[in-house]
Amino acid sequence: MANVIVNRVQEFLKKHPPFSFLNQDDLASVASQIEIQYHEKGEILFEKGDAPEAHFFILKEGQIELKDGEETKDFCDEGDVFGVLALLGKRPYILTAAVLENSLVYCIPVNAFEEILQRNSKVALFFAAGFASGQVVIRQDLSAGQKARGIFKKDNNDHSLLIFSDQSEIRFSENVVCIAAESSIQQAAEKMAEKEVSSVVIINSEKYPVGIITDKDLRTKVVAKAISLDLPVKQIMSSPVVTKKRDSSFSDLYLSMIKNRLHHLILTEDGSAESPVCGILSDHDVLLSMGNSPAVLINALLNTTDLTEMRAIRDRAETMLRYYLENEVSMDFVASVMTEINDVIIQQATKIARSKLAPEFPEMQGIKFAFISLGSEGREEQLLRTDQDNALIYEDLPASVQVKAANYFHLMGSEIVEVLLACGFASCPGEIMASNPKWVQPLSKWKEYFSEWILSPTQESLMQASIFFDFRKITGSSSLTDELSAHIYEEIQSKKAFLSFMAQNALKNPPPLGFFKDFMVEKSGEHRDQFDIKARAMMPLADLARLLVLSHGITGINNTFKRFEKLGQLEPNYESLFNQAGKAYEILMRMRALEGLQNDNSGRFISPEHMGKLQRQLLKNTFSPLAELQDIMEVRFQLAYFRK
Amino acid sequence: MSWWPFGRKKEEQPPWLNAYLKEARKSIPGIRKIQQLSFVVLDTEATGFDPKKDELLSCGIIGIEEEKIKISSSKEWQFASEKSPGKSATIHGLIHPKNPIELKTFCQELLGNLRGSIIVGHHIGFDLDLLCKTFQPFGFNQFPNPKIDTMNLAVRLDFGPQVDWNRVRKEDYSLDALCEKFNIPKEDRHTAGGDAFLTAQLLLKLLKQAEKKGILTYQELFR
Repeated sequence: MANVIVNRVQEFLKKHPPFSFLNQDDLASVASQIEIQYHEKGEILFEKGDAPEAHFFILKEGQIELKDGEETKDFCDEGDVFGVLALLGKRPYILTAAVLENSLVYCIPVNAFEEILQRNSKVALFFAAGFASGQVVIRQDLSAGQKARGIFKKDNNDHSLLIFSDQSEIRFSENVVCIAAESSIQQAAEKMAEKEVSSVVIINSEKYPVGIITDKDLRTKVVAKAISLDLPVKQIMSSPVVTKKRDSSFSDLYLSMIKNRLHHLILTEDGSAESPVCGILSDHDVLLSMGNSPAVLINALLNTTDLTEMRAIRDRAETMLRYYLENEVSMDFVASVMTEINDVIIQQATKIARSKLAPEFPEMQGIKFAFISLGSEGREEQLLRTDQDNALIYEDLPASVQVKAANYFHLMGSEIVEVLLACGFASCPGEIMASNPKWVQPLSKWKEYFSEWILSPTQESLMQASIFFDFRKITGSSSLTDELSAHIYEEIQSKKAFLSFMAQNALKNPPPLGFFKDFMVEKSGEHRDQFDIKARAMMPLADLARLLVLSHGITGINNTFKRFEKLGQLEPNYESLFNQAGKAYEILMRMRALEGLQNDNSGRFISPEHMGKLQRQLLKNTFSPLAELQDIMEVRFQLAYFRK
Repeated sequence: MSWWPFGRKKEEQPPWLNAYLKEARKSIPGIRKIQQLSFVVLDTEATGFDPKKDELLSCGIIGIEEEKIKISSSKEWQFASEKSPGKSATIHGLIHPKNPIELKTFCQELLGNLRGSIIVGHHIGFDLDLLCKTFQPFGFNQFPNPKIDTMNLAVRLDFGPQVDWNRVRKEDYSLDALCEKFNIPKEDRHTAGGDAFLTAQLLLKLLKQAEKKGILTYQELFR
């Protein structure tokens, strides 16, 4: 009987995997069987080698240390599930659970769960994934977390598995290549060659599927065994076949392919094998339905100057992005692809602007210029179409043409910005765009800007520095940007104190976690109770990476995680920390992008309340390299003096 | 149906009530360890704060065995009250009962759950007075079970058994204050089930404290 108490327990459970995968009835049944224990600091919940209890645990409050002898293996915080060996193997505990802080522990009876485990494949997968299986989850190792994330879908409301993310559009061949069961192997092979397919379905007189032959069958069962090609196909076909209804959902289809290790899934009218064949789905089709290839998109972009079309292509790129993110494609690759696409759009935009202005300004065509991206696009990290930050540099000109040039390049910059807006890139609230005359300047003026920021760092200039120092040439003449880079690094070498100011600024970012290890959320305003992942987690890392590469005098590496990678090579004693920081940044980028795709916004603000347990832990893990790096910076740039 | 009240009390009691009374009167050995004791935490909500006048609106219980809160033993009952909800209703926010049940069924179920357990509650005296009054039609006049008032227990743990009550600031020992002190999230406050659940968590924490002070057995707990 559900009552207030059971409901309360249920509310807690459903926020945490694997309970989050349970349906309402199962959840209520589990909740009503729970027992609650309270343990004070210093108590031992179970010892290594103890026979397993008839329940496993989820921590309601407090902290528990899992250890092997004196060696700490893991810490459990609120929502962590532990001691599940009892559930899986009925083996003695492999670790000792010691209570670090007074803890309220919910005990979930194993028999309440065993039956669910049989029925619910998501729950089974959760445990199979080794998570919380009493196995060690070493928090520091972010790569483990990254893998784990692949199993769980991003969607906060629906904790179903990632691979089940539904793709509404799925293309499969409706013209199935079929052959009668009496045909010879030779005929089957000929038909496959003729139709250029990798499989052929064997049907009976009623068009019901009775078997299937694939390329692989021809290799392994025919060629390798040297059997006669005149034998009937029946002899080598795989039979019976797994069939599905043609209008099944994608996840259903995909899942049965995975479960049955199929490369081809036959679709029939009613889903059974006693019904005519009407389609076939290959794993190649699955791949194609999941996204568009970057090469196709880039090619399409290069061949159009039509704004609507450009926008549509960028939208498609986002679908591809989502697929990549959800499928754990490496961030390096994802970021490169998206940057390439964004760059091509900017290059096309420049082309559009120039051809539009050419008739009016014929004399301006030979003047060297460079369109630069700043901020995240400059760092090659812009996955979503968040604010555009860009500027324009042109060569120094005699005073006579200067005025006209200023006008021309301002018009050109504005035109480019307009095209980007039309393609869905948001405009910069700080007006740091090539449509702002302040940021469309000749090279000498740009050198002045940078010198001023470096020589007299004010609060405002430091803020701007963080955006401008990540500039990257997108289109135009490299000689201008190269010269500017050289100038900047010279200036910095002559005024090292600037780095300390930058460091001070980099450490000013608001902290991600509060005193009680909870997320620091916005106190008021539109994003109240949301976590600012950009300002509190990503910017600090990006700022530190920039500062450190500048202090090493490195140019040409803009990407934050690549910067950390480089720093790891330069300072081998901190290599693992830098690698961690780089990984953390990748995770944050991924989280933010997924959040943004989910909610169709910049993904900057995340509600910790709505996050699953795993995601929250993953996010928290990303903060640990940050705190360590900040401590090192404090010493390295002698910031203690600065504050005074 | 005589108005004469004497002489035939015992015989009138239904067998289920006798079964309960027999079990509830059993004495618990003094040396029994606290871990072995079974508790039932109880809370009621009423139309007001006077057990003589006010009526029961709802009742929630939850059991503790071997120092474990057993969610499976949790129960909640709601009643339709004839009396219009007064002052107390504004606190509890209870106006329309969700699932009213018959008084006799309730009495049977509740007593069946209490049996030989120690009854626990915050200001448990009030709840039990109210229940006694409610159960009067069945010839019921007292709960023979041992009882623990979590408020008294908390005070005793802070001041020792010979407490001078004048020195105790009562407001520090309200359920709200104790929940705060013991870091128990005040969820579902002012529902019978919710308060019972909070009190159960409070009891677990108090018992741990008691054990630290050398209170390990039934007799030490009730001294």
